[in-house]
Amino acid sequence: MGKNVDKIKEAYREKAETAFTLSNIPIKSVYKPEDIKDTDYNRDIANPGEYPFTRGIFPDMFRGRYWTRREVCGFGTPDQTNQRLIHQIEEGVSGLNVIVDMPTRFGIDVEHPLAEGEVGAAGVPLTSLRDMESLTKGIPVGDVSFSLISSSCVAPIVLSQYIVVAQRSGQEISKLRGTIQNDTLSTRYCGMGEKTPPDLALKLSADIIEYCTKNMPLWNPINVNMYDLRETGVSAIQELAFGFANAIAYIEEVLERGLNIDDFAPRFAFYCSSHIDFFEEIAKLRAARRIWARILRERFHAKDPKSLRFRFGVHTAGCSLMTQQPLNNIVRVAYEALAAVLAGVQSLHCCSYDEPIAIPHESTQRIALATQQIIAYETGAAATADPLGGSYYVEALTNRIEEETTEILNKIEAMGGTLEAMRKKWFDGEIEKEALRYQRDIEEKKRIIVGVNEFPAYGEKFSGQRHKYSYEAEKTHIDNVKKLKRDRNKERVRASIDKLREEGLKSKKKNLIPSIIEAVKTYATTDEIIGSIRESFGYSYDPFEMQKSPF
Amino acid sequence: MTKAGLDGHDRGLKVVSVLLRDHGFEVVNLGCYQTAMGIVSAAEQEDVDVIGLSVLGDEYRVYVPRIKNLLKEKGLDHVVFVVGGTLPPEEIDEIKKMGADAVFLPGTLIGSVVEDIRGLVNDRRRS
Repeated sequence: MGKNVDKIKEAYREKAETAFTLSNIPIKSVYKPEDIKDTDYNRDIANPGEYPFTRGIFPDMFRGRYWTRREVCGFGTPDQTNQRLIHQIEEGVSGLNVIVDMPTRFGIDVEHPLAEGEVGAAGVPLTSLRDMESLTKGIPVGDVSFSLISSSCVAPIVLSQYIVVAQRSGQEISKLRGTIQNDTLSTRYCGMGEKTPPDLALKLSADIIEYCTKNMPLWNPINVNMYDLRETGVSAIQELAFGFANAIAYIEEVLERGLNIDDFAPRFAFYCSSHIDFFEEIAKLRAARRIWARILRERFHAKDPKSLRFRFGVHTAGCSLMTQQPLNNIVRVAYEALAAVLAGVQSLHCCSYDEPIAIPHESTQRIALATQQIIAYETGAAATADPLGGSYYVEALTNRIEEETTEILNKIEAMGGTLEAMRKKWFDGEIEKEALRYQRDIEEKKRIIVGVNEFPAYGEKFSGQRHKYSYEAEKTHIDNVKKLKRDRNKERVRASIDKLREEGLKSKKKNLIPSIIEAVKTYATTDEIIGSIRESFGYSYDPFEMQKSPF
Repeated sequence: MTKAGLDGHDRGLKVVSVLLRDHGFEVVNLGCYQTAMGIVSAAEQEDVDVIGLSVLGDEYRVYVPRIKNLLKEKGLDHVVFVVGGTLPPEEIDEIKKMGADAVFLPGTLIGSVVEDIRGLVNDRRRS
């Protein structure tokens, strides 16, 4: 008992010693008016819906419309994912969000040596139009907002599959609502490394933006992927700066095609993280709105107020969740989601508490959706726009994050822009440095994570049901692809691929989307299409150089 | 230290590699997208004491038994083979049966990783 007495006495006297945000910004013990004395309400904060949009992009925020409640989904066969999507609709999501599997993401054949055990593992396989048909069966694509998480160079193909499915069901593509992630440059740091050729990446992203601007005005043709960047271990400030640097590269590429900034900037969207430092995340998202508005107005001379609005979705931070005492993750996700809502999010995915164990199980995903519903309907957090606006701390932190983000952006600019910084491997070094700082803080207990480096609950294990990878589903899908390849009209496939290659060899500004749509219609596979495009740009058909082109 | 298959979540791979260096290990980081054969060949060429496989997802089912078999085939039984990453905790025993000498879950602090690896290497040298 003696030991426990000491323990409780010590616990009683313990002080909050954390003096730094998660991104290492020093925190004072109290903030006062003098901390924001240089901040001008009209110039720097302004009412919601007014430049620079610090308080939100709409005057009435959620009183006008709630954020879109989506839960990322994708596993097994397209049929299985389709069933889960229909189930999600029954449970009350307000939008759909589908992620592709790794072989689709890399654009490699389902029987590629490295694809073993990966087909339908971390997403849904979208190998051909047939899969998009199965995925969307019974779902009214003209009436739902459909987000397609496909950020790599196969994004144009996944989007084309969706376009063809919509057209065949009698929908006008000009009325489709949804998002294609299409942040190809981010994949360089987020899972694909050198397998993403930056020049081709930038070209294909611009093709999508240009095509959608002209044909799909309600569609979000890009969702700049700050979330994945954050998960690599960078700070909240770097998340914004690196994401904006990529966004600027896309804008410049599209401007070169002769479009005006106000033609396409209104449909730019962002995908952000909401990590565990509550106030820092709120300040980050508020700062992001102000920075983006200023970049668009001052640098790109956008005139349309819609061009200046930083529209974003949030994915709560997967890397903040722990295997130890996994039910605690429900609490973490709730705070992260609340921060996103208080910051005026447009679309939200809450992680399920089994995130560090497997991909979400139906039962855990239900809690993630309920978390959103509790915030929306029970907490009152959505009733008024930017409820933390005017807080001395939040405003001071918003200012600080804007300053530091702008500093990094200037540094990248001085290096010659994001592509140059990429070539110099500057981002790689920055990412590693920050990921290490975070981990060392945990190792040295400068930062406490409950159940990890403090308060262990020995022996507690995950006791819920968990998703398991299905080799049967993998086999079914591979068999289906083989059958498709036997049954399709080979001459039509070949002709469409030849056409695509021919177009690919023309100017870099030649938009490939119409030819990709034609190839998709012949049931050419994702790997056949991207492999052929890669070849016309001088790259190997297979990014791993293990397979040859069948054409 | 390496990752096999298509998964590119390499934060753990990079961070653990550097932290092991901090603790005096000489580390070769092969990076992502390796095959079992590539990993074992590199281990042979570099004459390593330990292979560390970082995983996220179910790819361990393919690669853990395959790497273990290749180690046996090549007479590299002395090489300690450890696996770490986002794994279902209840599968630890199964992964060990597949051939891993140790399994490290997320949140494992580097001190205990270092201790376990040193222990395994010393045991292997004695036997």
